[in-house]
Amino acid sequence: MLDRRTFLRIMGAGAAGCLMPVRGLASLLRPEEEQTLFAVVHGADPAATVRKAVELLGGMGSFIAKNDVVFVKPNISWDRTPQQAATTNPDVVAAVVRMVLEAGAKKVIVADNACNDARRTYKRSGIKDAAKKAGADVMHMEKRKFVKVDLGGGVLKKWEVFREAIEADKIVNIPIAKHHGLSGVTLSMKNMMGLIGGKRDLLHQKLGESIVDLTAYFKPTLHILDAVRILKAHGPQGGSLKDVTKLDTVAASIDPVKIDAFGITLFGKDPAEFPHLGMAEERGLGHRDFKSEGYQAIELS
Amino acid sequence: MKNLRRASQIVFLILFLFLFIQTEYKGKNELGLPVRFFLDFDPLIALSSLLTAHTVRLIFLLSLATIALTLLFGRVFCGWVCPLGTLNTAIGYFRMRRLKLSLSEGRYPGFRPLKYYILVFILVAAVFGWNAAGFLDPISLTIRSLAIGFNPVVNKMVRSFFEFTYALQIPGISPALDAVYSAMIGTVLAFEQPVFLQMILVGVLFAIVLGLSLLAPRFWCRYLCPLGALLGLIGTKQALARVDVDGEKCISCQKCNVSCQGDATPFPAGDWASRECLTCFNCRDVCPAEAVTIHPTTVRTGSGNVDLQRRWILTSGLAALVAVPAVGIGGHRKRTHPLLIRPPGAIPEEQFVKTCVKCGECMKVCLTNGLQPTFSEAGAEGLWTPILVPRLGYCEYNCNLCSQVCPTGAIREITVEEKKEIRIGLAFIDKNRCIPYFLGRNCIVCEEHCPVPDKAIVFIEE
Repeated sequence: MLDRRTFLRIMGAGAAGCLMPVRGLASLLRPEEEQTLFAVVHGADPAATVRKAVELLGGMGSFIAKNDVVFVKPNISWDRTPQQAATTNPDVVAAVVRMVLEAGAKKVIVADNACNDARRTYKRSGIKDAAKKAGADVMHMEKRKFVKVDLGGGVLKKWEVFREAIEADKIVNIPIAKHHGLSGVTLSMKNMMGLIGGKRDLLHQKLGESIVDLTAYFKPTLHILDAVRILKAHGPQGGSLKDVTKLDTVAASIDPVKIDAFGITLFGKDPAEFPHLGMAEERGLGHRDFKSEGYQAIELS
Repeated sequence: MKNLRRASQIVFLILFLFLFIQTEYKGKNELGLPVRFFLDFDPLIALSSLLTAHTVRLIFLLSLATIALTLLFGRVFCGWVCPLGTLNTAIGYFRMRRLKLSLSEGRYPGFRPLKYYILVFILVAAVFGWNAAGFLDPISLTIRSLAIGFNPVVNKMVRSFFEFTYALQIPGISPALDAVYSAMIGTVLAFEQPVFLQMILVGVLFAIVLGLSLLAPRFWCRYLCPLGALLGLIGTKQALARVDVDGEKCISCQKCNVSCQGDATPFPAGDWASRECLTCFNCRDVCPAEAVTIHPTTVRTGSGNVDLQRRWILTSGLAALVAVPAVGIGGHRKRTHPLLIRPPGAIPEEQFVKTCVKCGECMKVCLTNGLQPTFSEAGAEGLWTPILVPRLGYCEYNCNLCSQVCPTGAIREITVEEKKEIRIGLAFIDKNRCIPYFLGRNCIVCEEHCPVPDKAIVFIEE
């Protein structure tokens, strides 16, 4: 039986679906000099691709101030190689670290609360070596560094949070686009789970609400979606190369809802089917219609 | 010579501790270091494996080097190399200083035969199928006790200190100390606080072994150690390093006897017990009259060696004959304990119990701390053998570290690819507790964590 919420969701999704063609048309009429709010870059070299994407948004300098401490949050959850697409591409991570440092950041921290043994995931994902080489302070999320704070969320109240992430001036979120058994896909908002400790398994019972709460709390300055390789099935851990598709794509925006909506389309799905986007919109985190304004997609030769 | 010996003891102890600390994942699938080095040179481990499990591993040949050395120089392994011996020496050192000269204080010559009877017990038990050597072999004992009993406590103490200073958040001081702490984690400290069942039991037993050195210097080595007994028997002749007291020069001060590490009574001349001698050179170095020499000779035979009494040898053997069936009786033999999950690559259970020497290397190296010592799961005969306790740590899909460190092949060497094909146990879903079944709510953590690419756990939408 339909409850009221589901009913409203369906109605909302339907309405959004109806409006979409109109908005798409509007974007075509957009004047050239309009500021880019959502950048999609396609290119063979991940580092160049991510650079271009950030450049389109105005360059890292427009997000990072001099002497900022910046927390870069890739996905380093699983004991998998970059080819298996369960963790953020190390070249993308390294390029982001370099850009942040070039923008004048005092310190760049790279860390994630891994699901498998962190020593293995950091190493095997290639992120530890790549980020270190790029100049980041790659650290493990050791227990003492978690502090209990009031997240003030809808479902998440008091929870343990990684201290360095709160104390950092800016957070740059670099998720990888993956299939996920429960949320369907895992993108920018889901990636916020790696900044908290405690019994994260409990959150899976109200996953959508939880990741919206986390995104609202951490408010990353910039989201960069790694879709160089995406994991299309058996996520979030994957393991088989047959589930991996190479897209050579990177998207960037300050709007996590746009990023997630775009990510969903990469899997051939309709953003309207994902209730957490609606919740995020209600919370004022952004808009799922990533093409409506400031959309720019380019191809690197 | 005494200083040279001390240097050797310190170097080997440091090497031992270094290899112990390195028995942990350090960023590579292969450990790359011979962390079980000391076990490889241990003839008691080799002999017991040979007698119990009838297995000969190529690596056991290394123990022949120890045997050769012992034939020529006596128990130099005990005196110069053994890490437990060195720990006992260090503790005994404080005791030695307080001993009054020419008194029998701190010496229990009557206990000297004990270790031979213990050895007899172990060997007879081994022949009849119980590998008891690992419990008392000094190398196995030390690694296991440090790993399970001491390391968690040391870690906890150091961690508590640094975590306290971190929490204080004193400007300047806390960050500096935290940088030191961060550098220590994964290098000298374990990556995560180790947790072991039976930590207290194993730790207290080891503390007793060490504490006995306060009763008499190297009490364990002199009176209890079965490896010491074995090497003593092998090195009875010790043709290249025999103690000789020149009766004309000797002033009968007995300093040699008091300083003797092994209770081998160099004085009076002729009473020297070669089997007890640890070739430590104390007697020679301490002699004010320079009457003691240690030199190669085959002519003289030590008459001071204690007579092993036949009835006690028989008693020990008989005790073993009673013990072997006794430890084998138990529920575990009738029906395998449902939670007895052995490490991947473990040979069949019956052979496994016979082959494992309970050294704890696999538990020390286990990435997730899931490998724990058994208590009753494998019966008394299998006490302290490894068991995977999934609630404490899972078996990492891409890891084969335990198979790399096993000294006896109880866990055979397997590649990571082979390991992925091995089924160590079978998980099942308790529908009375599973959240989607029981509460009708979403939860997918098990499926998410299932490392098999095509998933052994699937989620059905209803």
